[in-house]
Amino acid sequence: MAMQKRIILGLRACTWVWIIMMLLSLATYVIGQQGLSGLRISLLVLAFALVKGQLVATYFMGLGQVRGFWRWPVTLWLLIPGGLISTAFILAD
Amino acid sequence: MSEAIQLAPVEEPRRYPPGDLAIWIFILAELAVFAIFFSGYAFARLNNVELFNEYQQLLDRRSAFINTLALITSSFFVVRAVAAIREGDSRVCVRWLLAALLMGGIFLLVKAAEYAHHLGQGVTLSTNTFYMFYLSLTFFHFMHVIMGMVILGAVAWKAHQGGYSATEHTGVETGASYWHMVDLVWLILFPLVYVMH
Repeated sequence: MAMQKRIILGLRACTWVWIIMMLLSLATYVIGQQGLSGLRISLLVLAFALVKGQLVATYFMGLGQVRGFWRWPVTLWLLIPGGLISTAFILAD
Repeated sequence: MSEAIQLAPVEEPRRYPPGDLAIWIFILAELAVFAIFFSGYAFARLNNVELFNEYQQLLDRRSAFINTLALITSSFFVVRAVAAIREGDSRVCVRWLLAALLMGGIFLLVKAAEYAHHLGQGVTLSTNTFYMFYLSLTFFHFMHVIMGMVILGAVAWKAHQGGYSATEHTGVETGASYWHMVDLVWLILFPLVYVMH
């Protein structure tokens, strides 16, 4: 099996994904610590989480290499509860 | 091609995800249960916004953040373990798996300390709706972390015994897929329960 190893600016793609996820998590934490609240902030934080989830699915779980049906269930999983959570927060606003 | 981006031979598109297909059926079932939990939390909050906002502020966000970093890092280590075994390097694969297990251990310790704090304050499932969701949702995930660590431990042991190779490493990919699912669930749980209000 050919190795999947993409080097970008001296680092593996998976290392960049890890760094991006750490930074998005830090942003989420800072938002929480600053006591920022409201619908827009909540949806922004949720968007960070969904982006991280898609990065895990594509690069860590390896679904980016999959074609056909099995590429999509995790993405759908992110979108469905993501949509329901968004709806509940919009209704609560 | 840009000098900054070097493309080594990339795996060809595949029809099925890495690992045993049975684990993916299991993963999707688990994800469905967590989706119901998350939606239940969000819609229960709809009728108790002030209560949820008030008690959410009492949670230890810093611990949750540390645990987020621990799980993301452990997932990254597992990716490296899979990459190592694909190159046929069992010894490096075991090292990355042990590092991932260490991160999982940190998660369990931090979360256990959080539970001890809440239980010490007399918080139970019946304290209020928020704590009912917080405790059941996070404990359900906690059990999955333990399960994931048992699987990774078994995979690491077999790799140590030389049970995997560059051509046959389905077990490593199967364990890795389960562990990434555990990480994935926490990525939604953290902002939903600890931050969004």
